[in-house]
Amino acid sequence: MKRSTKYLGIPRDAWIRGITMVILLGIWEGASRLGLVSQLMLPAPSKLAATLGNLATNGFPQGIIVFTHMRVTIFRILQGYLIGAFVAIPLGLMVGQIALLERAVNPIVTFARSIATISLLPLAIAWFGVGELSKVLLITYAAFWAVLTNTIQGVRSLDPVYVSVGRMYGARGVKLFFRVILPATLPRIFAGMKIALGLCFMVIIGVEMVGTVQGLGALIQQSRWFYRTDIAIAGTVLIGLFGLAMSLLLDFLERLLLPWAVGLEEVER
Amino acid sequence: MSNSKARLHLVASWAGFLVIILVWQGISTLGLVAPETFPGPVRVAESVVESLSVGRVLEHVGTSLFRVFSGFGIGLFAAVILGVMCGWYIDFGTILRTPIELLRPVPPLAWIPLAIMWLGVGESSKLFVIFLGAFFPIFTNTYKGMMTIEPNVIRAGQMVGLRGWRLLLKVVVPMTLPDIATGMRLGWSYSFGAMVAAEIIAANSGLGYMIMHGRELGLVGVIMFGIILIGTLNMLTDYVIQSLILKRFLRWHYVPEQK
Amino acid sequence: MSSAGSSSDGDTGKIKVRAESVGKTFGEENGEQVVALKDIDFTIGTNEFVSIVGRSGCGKSTMLNLVAGLLLPSSGNVFVNERKVAGPGLDRGMVFQQASLFPWLTAIENIEFGPKNTGTPKEARRKQSQELIQLVRLSEFENKYPRELSGGMQQRVAIARALALDPDILLMDEPFGALDQLTREDMQGELLRIWQERRKTVLFVTHSISEAIFLSDRILVFGTHPGFVKKEVSIDMPRPRHKASKEFLQYYEAIYETIN
Repeated sequence: MKRSTKYLGIPRDAWIRGITMVILLGIWEGASRLGLVSQLMLPAPSKLAATLGNLATNGFPQGIIVFTHMRVTIFRILQGYLIGAFVAIPLGLMVGQIALLERAVNPIVTFARSIATISLLPLAIAWFGVGELSKVLLITYAAFWAVLTNTIQGVRSLDPVYVSVGRMYGARGVKLFFRVILPATLPRIFAGMKIALGLCFMVIIGVEMVGTVQGLGALIQQSRWFYRTDIAIAGTVLIGLFGLAMSLLLDFLERLLLPWAVGLEEVER
Repeated sequence: MSNSKARLHLVASWAGFLVIILVWQGISTLGLVAPETFPGPVRVAESVVESLSVGRVLEHVGTSLFRVFSGFGIGLFAAVILGVMCGWYIDFGTILRTPIELLRPVPPLAWIPLAIMWLGVGESSKLFVIFLGAFFPIFTNTYKGMMTIEPNVIRAGQMVGLRGWRLLLKVVVPMTLPDIATGMRLGWSYSFGAMVAAEIIAANSGLGYMIMHGRELGLVGVIMFGIILIGTLNMLTDYVIQSLILKRFLRWHYVPEQK
Repeated sequence: MSSAGSSSDGDTGKIKVRAESVGKTFGEENGEQVVALKDIDFTIGTNEFVSIVGRSGCGKSTMLNLVAGLLLPSSGNVFVNERKVAGPGLDRGMVFQQASLFPWLTAIENIEFGPKNTGTPKEARRKQSQELIQLVRLSEFENKYPRELSGGMQQRVAIARALALDPDILLMDEPFGALDQLTREDMQGELLRIWQERRKTVLFVTHSISEAIFLSDRILVFGTHPGFVKKEVSIDMPRPRHKASKEFLQYYEAIYETIN
């Protein structure tokens, strides 16, 4: 096949990607230096590298270095995410098993998920102020519903043959739950956890743009007031890398914790 | 399922909402929390009537919907065309996907500051962010759909004499539609969220602005009303996209609902 | 009868499973109802291999689930070892149609699932599961997850899992239905070997007439709408049976006629 051809031991696709990157960066750098695009609007990559170095040492704004921003953002996400998931999983496992309860909860879940989490920001500020509590609660909200839906769906879509097998071979009650229903639902719960983390990340960036100077969202929002496009671009790149690292970490965790389930089912949302 | 059971389930699906509204009203009637901070449903309705006019609300709704539909529409158009091209011309796809894959992990909201600096605080920066919300999920799903088409379907198309563009339009793109639909639903929720966020962070019209403004005036009732309105609109539009458009055009793909 | 192994056993003739005018109706009392089975009577003797054949929708799987105790009859009774069936019991093992192995357990852990539930000590469990995995010839694959095994291998594990609690009766619901023809024929041979080694009473559901003739001592031919026992056929042929032999084809012809 054409696509698996290798040159110097490197696959053709990787060559194309590498060359594309080099050319794009070259055009960008050149255009910026030659003044084809405004230095102010789109600073050259070399300038951005310097900016990144500066963010790591001198910091921005008010001397807050970029590692502090990252730590603050991670910590906010983790608190809300873990609280949301720990409440949603047991609740979802329960609701999923009782058809009538699922019916009653389903419209509420649909509606709650339709409320863009970010729209709760003004309410959270009105109730709890602009501090950490508001931020963590909004993250909790985003995580909670995503994990809840997927946990309920996981239980609902459980293959009944597993329950039959369990019953045939002496698993009843608690044993049936822990040895059959829970493990069978885990892949879907994990899928929900992945979706939730993505949502939380999206929400925290928006939430940090209001009323704080700490966190990655605050970093790029603050750059606006000083018209520092270089900081905004560098910060946005960091946010992208951060998001990528998180999803790779979760994929790795999934392979580690549920080796039997990888690629077992494709789940949407 | 028998009639009596079906009726019970129908009752249950409304009971959940009813319980929430009753508890909400109950808390405020019993005076557990100050009504300025936590107004009950009745108080919310009153404060909306006092401080907002129907015309004003409709204006905000109209502005928000116009923004989200325009941004989403452009995103859908660009994502489908580029996604299909990336799947059809493999090397072109490898080149174009290089920057796209790099930008994809950046959540749409993170583009807000840059968009404002690049495009100003006007409509275009909001449209840009909403556009990005739609573009990435639709592009990714379209491309994935192109790459996972059952090869025998393409061979069958070739066997009846379809080549080039006609093969693409008559066989390949229709086969990709279900994946595009998946991307559309995801993209819609991102676009909607991006719209609300952009309006909260920098705008003087639209639903996001309405609730942020409500906060500045200390009108919790208006905020609550706005949130419910946003949720309802998102749910309704998602429903319209899902059942009226997709299910009509993709009847061959969706299996009638089980249960 | 000349079937090797089972029929020469001392217990033969003692009734193991008995269905007494069994009927099964699905649906609510005042809702829509579907009659799946009506007035079913049959018995299965100890160590006998009995198959149920019929078109899809004849209620043959329902009948198996009634014997298993996963479903309860709407009328009549099912007896196993002369006790009325009120639920699943450890005297019956079941092999299901599709992949029913737990994907989160390795082959050997799947086999040990039953003994673990009944509280068998770990060492005894290990020893027994090692024997069983040898019996189904999968010793090298004991630590593989189901998705790493072929369809045929998965069903061998499922058979070993059903044998792990040493049940008297093996219930099999189209266990080879999803396998390709060649694997299927291998598995039929394997099943006969295991049945003869372990001395079990087998109730086997299939829609393949030739599979039923190849395996069974006796065949219950089910009719449809609602399911009922249309005919009982004893297969009086020595094993191993050859699917191209004249006798085999005569049985096939007769059962085929009955079904249509």
